[in-house]
Formats: sequence, structure tokens, C-alpha cells
Amino acid sequence: MEIEIENNNFTLHASGALFWKEKNTVLISDVHLGKIAHFRKHGLAIPENAILENFTRMDEVLELFKPEKIIFLGDLFHSKINNEWILFSNWVKKINLEIILVEGNHDIIDKQNYASLNIVIHSKLLIDSFLLTHHPIETDNFFNFCGHIHPGIKLKGKGRQFLNLACFFRKPKQLIFPAFGEFTGNFYLVPTENDLVYAVSKEAVFEVVIN
Amino acid sequence: MNREELFTIAENWFKKHNWKPFAFQTQTWTAFLQNKNGLLNAPTGSGKTYALWFPIILNYIKKNPNYKSKHKPGLKAIWITPLRALSVEIKQAAEKVAEDLKTNLTVGIRSGDTSQSERTKQKTKMPDLLITTPESLQLLLASKDYVKTFKDCDAIVIDEWHELLGTKRGVQMELALSRLKAIAPNLRIWGISATIGNLELAQEVLLGTNSEAFENSILIKAHINKKINVTSIIPEKMETYPWRGHMGLHMIDEVAKIIRKSKTTLIFTNVRSACELWFQALLDKYPEFAGEMAMHHGSINRETRLWVENAIRNEELKVVVCTSSLDLGVDFAPVETIIQVGGPKGVARFLQRAGRSGHQPGKESNIYFLATHAMELIEASALKKAVRDTIVEDRVPYLNSYDVLVQYLNTLAVSDGFYPDEIFKEIQSTFCYQNITKENWNWILNFITNGSQSLQVYDEYKKVEIEADGKYKINSKRIAMHHRMQIGTIVSDATLNVKFLGGGFIGTIEEWFISKLQPGDTFTFGGKRLEFFKVKNMQVLVRKADAKKKSRTVSWMGGRMTLSAQMSELLRQELYNANTDNLTPELIAMKPIFERQRRESIVPNANEFLIETFKTREGFHAVFYPFEGRFVHEAMASLLSYRISLLSPITFSLAYNDYGFELLSDQEIDMESVFDNNLFSSEYVHHDLQHSLNATEMARRKFRDIAVISGLVFTGMPGKPIKTKHLQSGSQLLFGVFRDYEPDNLLLQQAFIETFEHQLEEGRLLQALERIAKQEIVWKPCKKPTPFSFPIITDRLREKLSSETLAERIQKMTASYMK
Repeated sequence: MEIEIENNNFTLHASGALFWKEKNTVLISDVHLGKIAHFRKHGLAIPENAILENFTRMDEVLELFKPEKIIFLGDLFHSKINNEWILFSNWVKKINLEIILVEGNHDIIDKQNYASLNIVIHSKLLIDSFLLTHHPIETDNFFNFCGHIHPGIKLKGKGRQFLNLACFFRKPKQLIFPAFGEFTGNFYLVPTENDLVYAVSKEAVFEVVIN
Repeated sequence: MNREELFTIAENWFKKHNWKPFAFQTQTWTAFLQNKNGLLNAPTGSGKTYALWFPIILNYIKKNPNYKSKHKPGLKAIWITPLRALSVEIKQAAEKVAEDLKTNLTVGIRSGDTSQSERTKQKTKMPDLLITTPESLQLLLASKDYVKTFKDCDAIVIDEWHELLGTKRGVQMELALSRLKAIAPNLRIWGISATIGNLELAQEVLLGTNSEAFENSILIKAHINKKINVTSIIPEKMETYPWRGHMGLHMIDEVAKIIRKSKTTLIFTNVRSACELWFQALLDKYPEFAGEMAMHHGSINRETRLWVENAIRNEELKVVVCTSSLDLGVDFAPVETIIQVGGPKGVARFLQRAGRSGHQPGKESNIYFLATHAMELIEASALKKAVRDTIVEDRVPYLNSYDVLVQYLNTLAVSDGFYPDEIFKEIQSTFCYQNITKENWNWILNFITNGSQSLQVYDEYKKVEIEADGKYKINSKRIAMHHRMQIGTIVSDATLNVKFLGGGFIGTIEEWFISKLQPGDTFTFGGKRLEFFKVKNMQVLVRKADAKKKSRTVSWMGGRMTLSAQMSELLRQELYNANTDNLTPELIAMKPIFERQRRESIVPNANEFLIETFKTREGFHAVFYPFEGRFVHEAMASLLSYRISLLSPITFSLAYNDYGFELLSDQEIDMESVFDNNLFSSEYVHHDLQHSLNATEMARRKFRDIAVISGLVFTGMPGKPIKTKHLQSGSQLLFGVFRDYEPDNLLLQQAFIETFEHQLEEGRLLQALERIAKQEIVWKPCKKPTPFSFPIITDRLREKLSSETLAERIQKMTASYMK
């Protein structure tokens, strides 16, 4: 789905990734790598094959948009360092693109690890009139791209139908990204009159009618 | 000492108390002393404790002739009770006999309420008789050198076995027994059960299908018949009776009259919120009951509950509003009358509650049935018949509960470790795992050691380790501690303690309820009006609220009950009588309802299957009436909606109660094509159910419990539970991850099997479909909802099923603005 913000053009992808055409950059938030390996290390038997899924989906996004840069909006690696980091390092070397991490609350591992992969870390990042952060920030001067809360939306229809989906949640000066990670939950938001909601399903992105 | 001499000791004790042993008691003594195992079928308050405690003591006397002077230390017998609250009473009875016979035998309790210091003391010196729960027994198996503790144990008694059978706590018990049999060579196993439909099976499950213990066993029945009087509370004017459930509060004046007539009355409600409402309503309308009225349910703090129980015994209370928390155990002599509010859904539960009144020999039980809506009066009439003909339900035991097995193996790995070959033989002898294959067993072993079936390069999974000699053992202290904290098979919603700001514990409420409240909101709980202040450290802090302020009543989730097969059958028979002249008082009272029903539709006969369709603002309704109970209707609704959705893209919302089910859609259902395509066919039922989304949703919910029991999710440290929201989303996400990446995972498959066998009751569904196939279908297009349909279509708890694509559905849906 294509949208325009502040005269820039973006594609919203069903995976929860966003492609910024003018900058030829992919933005992804809240991947939470390392979560499954963390659980397994503590004796909780989550299927190990699920670990690979995040990489497969990131590869699909890169294949589609062929960007020159990736920006992660925080919570890239969920927990303390574990062997999932090895998979991540291999992946970073394989794709060979410029990577930036806007730091999130879960990004607690030693920054040296990122440095060794040439990943640049910012606590916030200003690009033209866009301010990229992990936590949502309300500002009048910039348009804020952020993640952190894993936004979701509840829909209802005739005949008592209900549906809950992850979404891109757009306020007048802000776009909150859905969580990209496989193993994450949603926090359901209620829009106000000034908000727009783009629901994300496995197939596509849909603009939600709000009434 | 020979048996006669031993019996004389027991009989003299009875004589001293002016009692005479019942036949079932002496039969049990004899069988026990002949080294037999068995199941004793006896109701509460019949002297069942003495039936088994006596032979345990006599056996000790026999083995230790100088028992009066020389006490032999060590655990001799274990008494398992499903309810901690009952243990004190059992202890008192056991101690009394032990003291009177000058045996010096000691009695101890070990449960979740036992202090740490007491437990440590028990570890070095076990009492002679240990009263404990299934969970605490597992914890003993999880402690070092447990074999030493149990090796000289002569007996284990499982009290209220019918309550454990048909639950995973029962499976846990089967596993513990399979181990105890191997390490305690002289162990006799005895169960005590109230009357259920399948006592013989209960005996087999208890003792183990392929076991010597089962071969050498006996079933003893107490044959105590009690007269039970059942009366329906019928109002004089039926026109005002609500069409759907309203807690039955409109009958409060009739209830007050009944309360006044008897010494003590127990009012049973099916859910805790109804209990709170009734208590408040009685207090508001009849303030004169204040001081003589109390409330009792599982979420009220323990001290208050104990106080209430004692007050009933001491005849200090006129009326107690309660839930199933008072179903079991302790005797209440002064209780003369029971009032059951709303359908009890099963005959056994109704009988159990009736039996709480007139508890002394020779007295009669009196139970009143209060229907909360008009249709429930048919249930009343059916229950009377059930009581007259003593029809009781079966308890269906679990098969192949891999989650409980995983937990059990981890338990053994935590304590002394285990050797697989030895344990495999033991579990094969149980009922639950009688058909376990070597292949599945290896899968389980792989699962607890590798966390999967194939090791991958970077995997760091750690739980059970295999030592050099082949012993399976958990060595990590942290994992061992986590496991011990998670032992148990009851998965509850996270609860928070409710406390006054100034201190004072009131009880527990579920997290989801509190999450809907804002500070300053008022709610009623434990009969008190409270103002919500804040949540701190998993505690809900409250203060007394203004009595005039509007308040909500606390509610709890808890599953909805379904009519048993037996009850459904009785219910249908009663309903079919409505078209005859053979009317019970209940059916006569329902005449205005039936007339209303016949104006738009029909009251079906035995050979008719009724379907009603009508349109309201909400959409197009189709309501079907198989009268088979909630679970079967849930299954039939999924099945039928799935089959209709194959004909053309359509989305349904499904609702059901014990009488029928509804398919609601934004499009009209083409009923002719339903008939033309024979959509009620009993062929391919399993396949179709599996493909309906609804079965997946149900399995997802089952998986939550399985994930917790098998240790796939961690529920938190004591006092610091992880919020259930996390647990829930954790296990919900897990379900998806397993389905996508390990579809052949046995625990995942178990979720589906449990859904089909225990939730959808596939067997009953097939029978119902075969019955419908013989009936004539009567389709009534109506102008508006009928009295039969009303309680169903107003139900808010719904499932959905769709064959439209997500895109199609989203286009028709909207989100709401913040108001």
C-alpha cells in the first residue's frame, strides 16, 4: 500500500516493514531477535525453526525493494547475547548493506557487538523533517517514525463480527510501526478523529474505515 | 494378633461411642487386612474415614505387637484429599482413633498451607500418617532421596476420587501411584468415591489397567439411600418470568419465605458473581437477615471461609449464599434446606448439593430449584425425574496426557533422576498411558532433553541432561527451582489479592476485571462496597466506598458448564411432553411461554427437529434446536457453519446454550441448499470439524493449559506471578509458532485431541447427528425472535467462522473512534 507523508512517498508492506522511496531505505521496528533462543536456553522448548523465520521475512522485504539502507527502529535484539546473534551476524555479512539501529529499551547487549558488524547506533535520528525514535515522541516540528508499543486495531462488522490485527498507526505528526518480529503480541489502540489506521495481515495492508 | 482380635479392638472403640460399624466398614477392614486394594463407594459423612483409617492402624498393630510401648517411626500411610480445606477434619478424626487406641501414631498435614519450617521438620521425621494433596505428593517426588521416604509405606488412600477422575489431577495421581507401587512393595491402594455412572472404570483407572494391583482389588458399595425432596419454586404469575437469565432475583420473596421456614439454608449459585449479587440483594431487601447471613466462595479469603464454615456448624447462621466451594467435604448438621439457583447442568452435582441438607441418619434432604429463566423450568422437571430414577453421569478419564507426563518426568529428573526403561514399564501399566507407543515415548524423551526432535548447530536448549550411565537428570539449580514452582495441573487466571489501604485481606479477584477499572471506581466484592485505589506489587488496594455510589459486581471468568448427556436426554423427554396432557407442575407453569412459542413457531415433538430463521437489526439469524447441551451445540454450530461456508463465501458469528445454537450473519443463509446438500450428515464429521476454524480456536485455548503444565511457559516466581496477559499472549503466540514450525509436536496434537474428545465431544455429536437424521426437519421462518431463541441470540460470548478472505471481511468492517 502506498502513502504520502510530508511530500515523501512510502510503501507499507504486509510484513510490517516500510519502504521510503526518496531515500531508498527500508525501515523495520521491533524484530526482537534472540527471544526464542533466550527461552530455549532457559528450558522452554519453543520450536527452534521459528528462529529462522525473521531472517526469511527480512530477506523477502529486501528482495522486493532492493534498498541501499536498513534502519531498525529499536528492539532489534531482545535480550542478553545468545547464539541467535551468530545467525544475525551471518545475515548482516550476507546482505552487505548499510544498517542503522535506533536504540530501543530491549537493546541491552554490548554496543561493541554492533560496532563489529559496522552497525551504527543512534538514540534518535533526524532525516529531513522526519524524527526516527524507538519510543513515540510527540513533537510539532518533526514527523515522528517510531515503534515500541506494537500497535494493533480491533475491527467490528455486522452480524457481530470482530477482528484484531496489527497495524501502522498514523497520527497527524507520527507513524507508529507494527512489530516485525514473529513472536510478539499487539497492544490495541483506539483511534481519534485525526488518526489513520493501516491494518496489516499476512496478505496485504488495508486502510481501515473508522466511524 | 489374628483378624478377630484386631476386629475386637475396632468394634470396642465403636461400642464406646455407642456406634455400630456399618457393613461396608467391616467389609473394607477385611479386604484391607487381606492385602487387597480397592475402591470404596460411600458418600460424605457416612463414616468412610473410619472405614479406611481403622485397618491402617490395625495393620500397624498386627505388625508391631508391642505398639503401645514402642513406636516405630517412618511414614506408614498417605491420605490424599483434593481439597486442602478438608485435611483438618480428616486429621482430627485420625488423631482421635490413634489416641484412643494408645498407638502413639502421629498425623501430619502437608499442603500449600504448610509452613516452610514444618516441611523441613517433616523431611527429617515424617509423620506416621500424612494427609496431603496430589500436588504436594508430586513435590515430595521432586525432593532428593524420596525413595527412602516412601519405601515402608503400607497404604495410600485417595479420598473423593470421583473429583480427581476426569481431570489432569487424576492423571497426576495415576503417575504418582505407578512410581509408589514400584518403590513401596507393601503398598495397598484405596480410593473413596461418591456415586458416579462408571465406578468400575474408576477402580481400573485408580489401580492401573495392566497391573497386579488391579487384579488383586475389590469394589465395595456402601448402599446408603437417602430420601431427597425436590421442589421447584414457581411464581404465581408466569407472564413476568424473564425469557433469559437474570440471576433469578425476581424470585427473591419466595426465597425469603423458604429461608424463614428452616434452621439453616444454603443457596447455591453456579458462578461467584451470582453469589455476590444474591447476597447483596437479600441484604438490601431483607435487612433483618443481617448478622445471620454469610457468603462463601473460592475467592474469599481463607479465614473468612473457615469462619463461615464454623458458624454454620454452630447454628449461628440462617442463610449462606455459596458456590461449588461448599459442594464437598465438611458436615453441616444444622443445614435443613438447599436452594439451587439456575440449572446445575448435571444430576450428580444436583444430588451432591441436595445431600448437604438433612445430613443426619434418618433425615431427608430438601432441595428447591429456582429457574433463572422460563426455559430452565424444563430442567427442573427433568431433574426431579433424574433424582427419582437415580440417574448419574460418568466421569470420563483422560488418555495420553503428554503434558502431565512431561511434567512428571521433569519432576523425577529434578529429584534423583530416572532411567527411562524402568519408568516406561511403570507408566505403561497406568490407564492414561496404556497405549503409549515406544515412538511417542522416545519423542517425549527427546523433547525434555533437546527441546525438539533434531539438534541444530547453534542450539543452546537446556533442561534434562543424560548422564554417563544413562540417567536422566536436571542439574541446573535454576531450572530445578522453576520446575518445582510450576508443579500442578490446575491452570488458573492470574489473580490479585484485594487489600484495604490500612491492611486487611479481603480475597482475590482476576486481573482482567481490575484492568477494566479506573482509580475511584466502585465495585462490590465479598459483600462490601469498595473503591479502587491502585494496584501495587500485585495487590489491589481499596478503601471503603460511599454506600450510595453506583458500583459493579466483581465477576470471574471460569468455564461455562454444559448439560451432561444424561441431563440432555431427560430434558428432551420433558420438552416433548409439553405437547401432551401429561404435564408436570413446571410444564403447567410454562404454558404461557409455550403459547407464545407456538404463535410464531412450534414446540417440537420427538420426531421433529426445529429450525427458526428471522431478521433483526443485527443481521440474519438461524437458530437450531437439538437440545443436546452446550458443548455438542458448539461442535454442531462449527460443523454446520463450516459446511455452509463451503457453498459460498460467508462469515458467521456463533452462539449456543444448552437448548440450541445460532448462526448469525450479515447475509441470509440459503436454507434450501442446507437441506439439499444434506449438511447434517454424520459423514466426514471429523474431517470437517478439523478444517473449521473454530476447532483451531478451541485447540488454541486448550494449548494454553498444556503449555503451562508441560513447562513451555513459565508462570513466574511465587508472590510475583507474571501477568496473565503475558502468559496468555505467550501461549497464544506459542500455539501459532508450533502450528507453523512443529505441526507434529505431540503437545500440539494433544490440544486438538482434547478439543475433539473433551470439548466438542465428538462421540456425542455423532450420536446427535444420527438422531437428527431420523427426525423430520421443521423450518419456521419467523417475523421476530421466539421465546426459545431469545436466551441464545442475546448471548454475548461468541465464536466466528468465515470463508471470506481477510480483504473481503476488512472491507465490510470498521473500527470505532475514541468516545
